[in-house]
Amino acid sequence: MDEEMGGFTHDDLIIPPVKYEYLDHTADVQLHAWGDSLKEAFEQCGMAMFGYMTDLAYVQIKEVHTIEANADDMMGLLYHFLDELLYLFSVEPFLICKKLVITEFNTEEFRIVCKCYGEEFQIGKHPQGSEVKAITYSAMQIVDEPKDNRFEVFVIIDI
Amino acid sequence: MVVRNYNEELKYLEKINPYCWRIKKGFQPNMNVEGVFYVNNTLEKLMLDELRNSCRPGMTGGFLPGVKQIANVAALPGIVGRSVGLPDVHSGYGFAIGNMAAFDVSDPKSIVSPGGVGFDINCGVRLLRTNLHEKDVLPIKEQLAQSLFDHIPVGVGSKGIIPMNARDMEEALEMGMDWSLREGYVWAEDKEHCEEYGRMLNADPSKVSLRSKKRGLPQLGTLGAGNHYAEIQVVDEIYDKYAASKMGLERTGQVVVMIHSGSRGFGHQVATDALVQMEKAMKRDQIAVNDRQLACARINSVEGQDYLKAMAAAANFAWVNRSSMTFLTRQAFAKQFKMAPDDLDMHVIYDVSHNIAKIEEHVVDGKVKTLLVHRKGSTRAFPPHHPLIPVDYQLTGQPVLIGGSMGTCSYVLTGTHQGMTETFGSTCHGAGRALSRAKSRRNLDYKDVLTKLESMGISIRVASPKLVMEEAPESYKNVTDVVNTCHAAGISKKTVKLRPIAVIKG
Repeated sequence: MDEEMGGFTHDDLIIPPVKYEYLDHTADVQLHAWGDSLKEAFEQCGMAMFGYMTDLAYVQIKEVHTIEANADDMMGLLYHFLDELLYLFSVEPFLICKKLVITEFNTEEFRIVCKCYGEEFQIGKHPQGSEVKAITYSAMQIVDEPKDNRFEVFVIIDI
Repeated sequence: MVVRNYNEELKYLEKINPYCWRIKKGFQPNMNVEGVFYVNNTLEKLMLDELRNSCRPGMTGGFLPGVKQIANVAALPGIVGRSVGLPDVHSGYGFAIGNMAAFDVSDPKSIVSPGGVGFDINCGVRLLRTNLHEKDVLPIKEQLAQSLFDHIPVGVGSKGIIPMNARDMEEALEMGMDWSLREGYVWAEDKEHCEEYGRMLNADPSKVSLRSKKRGLPQLGTLGAGNHYAEIQVVDEIYDKYAASKMGLERTGQVVVMIHSGSRGFGHQVATDALVQMEKAMKRDQIAVNDRQLACARINSVEGQDYLKAMAAAANFAWVNRSSMTFLTRQAFAKQFKMAPDDLDMHVIYDVSHNIAKIEEHVVDGKVKTLLVHRKGSTRAFPPHHPLIPVDYQLTGQPVLIGGSMGTCSYVLTGTHQGMTETFGSTCHGAGRALSRAKSRRNLDYKDVLTKLESMGISIRVASPKLVMEEAPESYKNVTDVVNTCHAAGISKKTVKLRPIAVIKG
């Protein structure tokens, strides 16, 4: 834990609006997320994944952890970013996130540093949603068109 | 991808008998062998509809229909025989789900592909019998279902209750069910009724990333979510009295327990890690494939061998996992009936893997060859007298366990000689999805599904309410169609039909 409980500022506890949806796919589910920047679309995509695992209304911000993702290209970066988040949920601290803030979004060296706000997943407190097995490159799309103000990502997760 | 309209696409498909279609070369580029898929009239429609939808102008969804995926697999280097689609086939990651393909190990160009195994390595089904009758269970069915639900950790975020540290984990990965036996979780004879005797000998935990081990440790002995389940079932119909009695299934109404689970986060991470490695190997060895998702490496490359060793460790993890749940199931029954599991005759009938790659000997063009057989959503179904099946089933053929969807029937089949020659001893694995999860949630109502299950006399305990809709029988192909097709096509033989009376799910 980087910060003790109660050490959060007012801004830390503001929950961003939902900018994601779940699209049809026969066996799995496709996450579609967007935002005012590609960074925001990435953050929203991460939240879309957590939103599929539980009902986020039951999640409180009690701890914050920092993850890092590195890759060779943008798709790889999105993939590894989500994989790191899934890992944060799957092992100690078993973190279910309420909010993600990307503090470094480097699209030249393909590197992300992200602060993950949430708490340890607890059966009984948090409704059990679907289990995400893996992130896939299947039909992955990254729309990055600043001139039209279009920033969107599509990812199929294996469930 | 080749762009053609639907009628042009159909020219590459030929119905060769009422249960079998041939996919000719040219349907997808660079096909080394032909494809084939097994369907009856009902399933044929689903299969062709999927193809027709993908041919509609403006379709840019990006995922390929199952029939195209079967053809792409036929284009992989070193494939022999045919790329086979089983009746429950549907679109998957790279390979279709319900797809099997064999590669000649002696051909240096032959490949191994994690996509041909799936993320849930050694996902499989285990069947336990009891000497109870339905009427023994009915008065305490709800308590028994609850007890099973309380004993087996299910659903997203659940943690195993079998005590385990990092060293135990290393040993379990190497030893598979031998570990479970040593630790006292299973009976010696359980191993006998398990593919590979519950242990792949080439497992090498040192080829597994720390990340996988960390993901696996808290999840050992958990059922998982999605389509995984533990069900209390009763024998509904016996088609082959002799084979059924060899399995200890003597009469209708006899109670059995089916467990469907896999290698949990451990296997998922092994597959994820391997896909990254293989992308690199493909560039280096200039392996060309039709679809980026068919990431693969030559069998004899470092990446190929490392994957097979890590995959074997994941397979062992899955067997230990199913064994741990076998232990918990026996405990739950013992407590409810106040009898020892032994006295309840709770033996393992068999345990099958339906997401795995194995080295096997097969006859190709009259010659014995060593092949790497990928089965993804496909079950091994070896015929009578095959040396790799246990003594008890030498005369019947290997038991094949086909799990239905929630609230529908399951089946026990046996392997046949025809299956051995036509599909490298492989058959279907389950129902196969028909509706997307989102569509299921939109079209089905939670209460309706539960009321329907209740009216069928099925108790249900489920951790996630939305799974009730997603996993409703309407979301799946009819398992009876799937099994009847395998039986009619001769690739496996119907033995017993099982009906659920209680379902425990993630």
